[in-house]
Formats: sequence, C-alpha cells, structure tokens
Amino acid sequence: MDAQSTTAGGTVGEAPASRNPRQGPDGGESLIGHALTAVSGRDVQAFGRTVTATAATLIQPFGDSISATSNHYQHAMTDISKELRKPSIQNRMLGFAQRTPTELVRSKLSTTEIQHRALTFLPEDLLRAIPDQESQYSLFQGFQATLPDPKKSRKPSKKDGQKQITDSDVDSNTSVVEKLTKEREDLAHQLEIYSVRKNMASSEIREIDIKIANLNAMRHIVLERLAKLEQEEAQLEHEILEVDNKIEDIQEDMDSVHLEEGDSDTPSSDTNNGSFMSESVYGKLSNSTFKNPKKHRSKSKSNTNATSFKSPILTRPAGRKSMPILHEHFEPGTRISEYQTHTDSITSLDFDVPFGTMVTAALDDTVRVWDLSSGRCLGMLEGHRASVRCLQVEDNLVATGSVDASIRLWDLSRAETYSGAGNHINKKKKYNGEDADDEETDDGRQSSAISTGVSSAAGLTECAVHCLDSHVDEVTAIYFQGDTLVSGSADKTLRQWDLEKGRCVQTLDVLWAAAQSSIVPGADDSKWRSTGRSADIKADFVGTLQCFDAALACGTADGLVRLWDLRSGQVHRSLVGHTGPVTCLQFDDVHLVTGSLDRSIRIWDLRTGSIFDAYGYDNPITSMQFDARRIVSAAQEPVVKVYDKADGRHWDCGNKEPLEDGKERSIVDQVRMKDGYLVEGRRDGVVGVWAC
Amino acid sequence: MASSADRLPYAADAESPLKEAELAVLRKQYEGEGQFVGVQTKFNYAWGLIKSDKRAEQQLGVRLLTDIFKDYPERRRECVYYLALGHYRLGNYAEARQYNEILLGKEPGNLQAQSLRGLIDDKVAREGLLGVAIIGGVAMVATIVGSAIWKGVAKKR
Repeated sequence: MDAQSTTAGGTVGEAPASRNPRQGPDGGESLIGHALTAVSGRDVQAFGRTVTATAATLIQPFGDSISATSNHYQHAMTDISKELRKPSIQNRMLGFAQRTPTELVRSKLSTTEIQHRALTFLPEDLLRAIPDQESQYSLFQGFQATLPDPKKSRKPSKKDGQKQITDSDVDSNTSVVEKLTKEREDLAHQLEIYSVRKNMASSEIREIDIKIANLNAMRHIVLERLAKLEQEEAQLEHEILEVDNKIEDIQEDMDSVHLEEGDSDTPSSDTNNGSFMSESVYGKLSNSTFKNPKKHRSKSKSNTNATSFKSPILTRPAGRKSMPILHEHFEPGTRISEYQTHTDSITSLDFDVPFGTMVTAALDDTVRVWDLSSGRCLGMLEGHRASVRCLQVEDNLVATGSVDASIRLWDLSRAETYSGAGNHINKKKKYNGEDADDEETDDGRQSSAISTGVSSAAGLTECAVHCLDSHVDEVTAIYFQGDTLVSGSADKTLRQWDLEKGRCVQTLDVLWAAAQSSIVPGADDSKWRSTGRSADIKADFVGTLQCFDAALACGTADGLVRLWDLRSGQVHRSLVGHTGPVTCLQFDDVHLVTGSLDRSIRIWDLRTGSIFDAYGYDNPITSMQFDARRIVSAAQEPVVKVYDKADGRHWDCGNKEPLEDGKERSIVDQVRMKDGYLVEGRRDGVVGVWAC
Repeated sequence: MASSADRLPYAADAESPLKEAELAVLRKQYEGEGQFVGVQTKFNYAWGLIKSDKRAEQQLGVRLLTDIFKDYPERRRECVYYLALGHYRLGNYAEARQYNEILLGKEPGNLQAQSLRGLIDDKVAREGLLGVAIIGGVAMVATIVGSAIWKGVAKKR
C-alpha cells in the first residue's frame, strides 16, 4: 500500500498539471484510482495529505517553468494547489483522474472508440484559447428558434381567451387573468425567439459576407495567376514562331538555291542579312513588325503555291494557338489598356480577336496596325492617297475604304515576307515572275500594288492584295464577309465586289431605289418625304452597311434603313423610323440594330420589320456594335454607352469626369466590341481597351 | 450574462432523444448546405445527434461539436459545455469533467455546468464502485485460487 500511495501521489499530482488524463494514460493510473476508492474515507483523508504534499512539489517547479510563457496559467495552477488543501476538493481531485471501468475498457479495446477519440481530440492550446466575448444568442437558443413553432397552434386559443373576457362572469375573472398572464409570458417568449431568429439571420448574413470577401480575394489571386499564364503563353507562342521562322528561312534558302541555282543575288547565308536589311527600304520597318505572332505564318506555302496567292482567304493560316480569355474575367468597365495611336481624330478602327491585332485609321491619313497584347505599332498600311473613312478586320484580312474613292484589301499574314532574315528580294521576284500572268488578267493596278519592286513606300505595303476603285466619290462604308465585299460611297451607290477576282460584280443605285419605292403604287410617298430630311451635308450619304449572304442592309442619310436582296438587286424592305442620318447598323439572324444622328438607337425585328425596342441618348450616335449581351455605342461623350440587354441596364464605360486640370476628356467617336472586349477610339487619337 | 439560465440546456435536455423524423429534418438541412454549412445548422444537427440514444450518433455529434469548437472561436465557450454534455452522454466522464471544469473556470456561477458536474460525479462514483466491486471480486477469486495453488504446491513439497 505504501509503495502504491507514492505512485498514486505522482499520478494525482500530474492530473491537474496536464488537465488531460488522456495524454498519459498508463494502465496503472486508473487501476490505482479504483484502488483508492476502495480505501475508507478516513484513509483517504490521511492519504490525501500526502498526496497534496507530493502534488505541491510536483506542481511548483512545473508552474515556474511555464510561468514565463503563460501567466494566467500559473495563476490557475496556484489556485488549484490552494484548493487542493480543502478536504472536499481533495476528495474530488482524487477522483479526477478516474475513469469508470466501462470507459476504460472502451477506450482501450474498441477501435471505433479509439478512432473517435482521435477525431474529437482537442489540443490543450485550443482549450485554453477560449475568447471571452459572447455572441448575441447561444447556439442552443438558435436551435430552439429553428424548431417548429409550437405557438402557432395557440393562436386560436388566444382568440378564445379574448372571447372569454367578453363572455365571462366575475368569478371566472381570476382564471382568466391567470390564463392571460401565461399567454403574456408565452408571447414574451415568442418575442425573444423572434429576436434570436433575427440575430441568427443577421449573423448568417455576416458569415456569408465574410465568405464573399474571401472568395473575392481568391478570385483576385486566381485572376492574377491567369494574367501571368497568358503572358507566358504569349511569350511561348512568340518563341515558337521565331523558331518556325528560322526553320522556314533555312528551308527557303535551300529551296531557292535548288530552284534558282546559280542566282548571284541569293545571299549565301543569314549572317550578312543584317547589313543588307538596314540598307534596304525594308529597314524602315520597325523590328517589332516581325515579332507579331500573327504575321509569321506558313510563308513558304504562300510563296511556293501560286493559287494561294490568288485567293489569300482560302489559304489563310489558322489563328493564334491559344485564346486569350483574361478579359472575360475582368469586372465590366475595367480599363485594360490605353494607347496614343494617332495625333488626330480616329475615323475608324477594328480588331480581329481580343488581344489580337487592331487596325486604326485617323484624319492624319495613316492606317496603323497594332498588337493589342503588347500595345506596339506593327506598321502602317500605306497606299491610300487620302484619309481612310472606314475599315474592317477579319482574321488577317483588312479592308479599308478611303476618301480617295478606293477600297484596299490587305492580308496581314503577308507581312512575314519581310521577316527577319532570308532572301526576301528573291522571293518577291519569284512572286512577280510566277504570278505575273494571273495578276495581269485580273487587274493591272493590282499587280502594281502588290509588286513590291514598284511600291517603294515603307510600311506593310507588302500586305496589299487588291485595290478596288470603281467608286467615283469617297467610300464611306464597307463590309465584307467571305469573298463578298460591299461598299457604300458618297456617289450614292452601293457596290458589291468579288474579293477573289477583285472585281465589282454589282452596282446598286440608292437614289434609283428610292425613286422606285416612291412610285410603286401603294408606297406612301409622303412618308418617304417626311422621313427624308434635307440632306445633311456633314452626314455621309451611305452611313453604314452590312451584308450576309444575299441580304444587304444599308443605312443612309435620309434616315432610312434599306434591306436589299443582292440576287435581284432590289430593295425588298425599308425600315422607316429614324429622323436623322443612320450612322451605324448591325444585324444578326433576328434583330437589326441601328444608330442615328437623331440620338436614338433602334432595335428592329427583321421578321416583321417593326420596331422591337428603342432608346435614346443626349447626343447623336456615331458608332455602335452589339453582341449577345450588350449594345455599345459612342454618343459624342467621353464615355462608351453600354446597354445591357440581359438586365436592361444602361451604364457608362469610362470616366466622364473632366481631367484634373479642368480639361474635358476627349469624345469617343468609334467603338468596337467582341466577346466583352471593347475598343474605343477618341478624337485626340487615343484608343482605350476595356472589358465590358 | 443575465439570461445565462436560458442560454444553455440542462443535462436533462440532452437525455430526451428527438424523434427520428425531427433528426432527419436536421440531417437534411445539414447535408443540404454542403461544404459551406452554417454554424447554426451544424450545431442543430450535432445537438440532435447528442440527444439520440444511439452511441454512433452521439459520437458523430461530438465530432461535429469538435469541428465547431475548432472553426468558430467565438462559439468555443458554449461549445465546451456541449462537448462536456456529449462526452457525458457517451460515458467518457474524464473528458466530460475536463471540459465542464474549463467552463466552470470561466463561469463559476453557471448553473448548467454546476449541475453537470454533480451528475458526472454521481455517475463516476456509481460506476466506479461497481467496477471496484467487480475488480475486487476478481481479485478475491484470484487470491483464493492462488492461495489454493500455493497451498497445493506447499503440500507437494
């Protein structure tokens, strides 16, 4: 027994120190505990004293060592050692480390129990770190509040009680009062429950807010990761293309040596190209031109294959391997970038894909090509003798319509013929030599435009494919799709072109069509007159047009939108409504959207020809484009007007406020959008890129 | 807290199991909220489980409460009481006492915790005595057998 008591003393002393019997459960501990309960109360008292002494000596050094780190813990320990001296506490302390036999057996033998213990184990530091502040309601109150309300069944009884008041006699009054007090208590309780429920709801909202904040933070991190990935992706693609180019150059070297054996012009190696290039006219080209991924494509194919030259559309190489998606994850209205592209007002702009290639035209008579991902100018499209009024970019093809009454078609993928090193002169000569017959049968001018030997202008002139110049006045609107290009001009005609052959295939006289419609019986003559305004000198006669297959829609200065059938060359429907010149239109399979200088945007139903929707702004609309979700337009404001069709919301993309120095921000004249990637051009030559 | 009397349930509350259907409602709600389950829903289910008669359900309840304890520091103080109750229901009196004492250390006047302390003491004393009786009996038998063998050995000598 003596030997046992000392061991027990040690165990009992340890128990409060560790406060977690599970941490050191040696089998003897509990067994001794049971043995202790067996000894009589008197023995326990005596035994307890020795235990206290042992425990005190054990606790004291232990507490000291801990004290440096946790002060209150030491206090707790001294408190416990003080309390240990009280007999009643001593009794309890003796039982402290105890486990009942069933508990012991379970904790030692059953695997599920052991598993459960491991799962529900709470480390000491967590148990100590219990904050003081209380929530507004306890979980138990919350639990009670979520239980189905038993009070509801009592509501009828309340009415009964009220009835009783009116019906009852005096002697039943006391019971009624009792009942009512009880009811009052019930109601008070109910009120309490409601307040708990209210607190629950508000705290739940707070929890959700925190979660949203966390998720937003996570989104931000992932967005940054995405941006970085896209950067690296672009870098890789660039490197791949560079390697491809090198391979192709070497192959071309070999080919040309093979084809034109003994040609003295052929540079023997790449090494002397640097000096050669710098002396040539092509040296004017900025080096960045050659770095655009889009322009380094299957050049050997187009060089060696004569047919591909004739129809560049068909052999156009596939687009970028990777698709940038970053802009889709920006908040609508976020500015992605901004470039100073021109020094004068931008007259037209377009781009192929988000972060792809953009072409801008301005009143400074230049047409520039830009890489939207890097913001670099890749070169200039030169050839027009006056400023370009309208342009369209589709993959590598660019069409420009100019005040000089000509339309030019460019294939940007041909810019690669300049790229880096190699026997480019030879290649071009080869071009002309092989293709001369085809070209001359097509159009003499075209071959001159294409032949680089003749055109000494710098820039991306090599890209020129066709020059279409049958119009006799400035070209104000163009649109192409596939091999068909349609153009509208101030000579009051529309022309349809075959891009493969480079020829005008049809001319549509708008004035003649207007006269036709006015003399057709049944057509309301007065209506046409009333909507037709006196010609606005500033407005283009043909403000805009778009075609799809055989359908052509054009908007003119008289405020009419005419739908043509290209097969018959007839106007088959006129949409009357705008009171000012139509400046922009776009249609899909159901709707036609038009913007006009009369400050309104109208959405027409193509099937019925009636107005589907319309809204207006404060200023004339100069440019508009829509996609599945929104309609973006430029309304002579420093911002882009966006109409969200999905939720019917109007908002401004951009900053309307004047600059810090009090100057007004420049007006947005042109706007283009694809897949929520919006590009706007301003009067001061700045192009802004936005997510919307 | 003035209303501390209402804020925590007494141990007797934990002794009355919910109906299967009621527990099913709580479970459905808990499972319905999935990964982002709210603390109240989690507690409701845990509390319903602890009230159950089935040991497995009680264990699950204690596990959920442990999760709440770990995840929501502002709920720890009450949670420690529910953990004590849960372990008490499971028969893990050492843990029950440990957790209950922690709460009593924070709130010495807590009636619920005081009553739980009494209940735990009673249980331990009763089961302890029972266990000691069994062990005692076993020891007695062992002594008798042992002495008999000893005697037999001695006789043989």
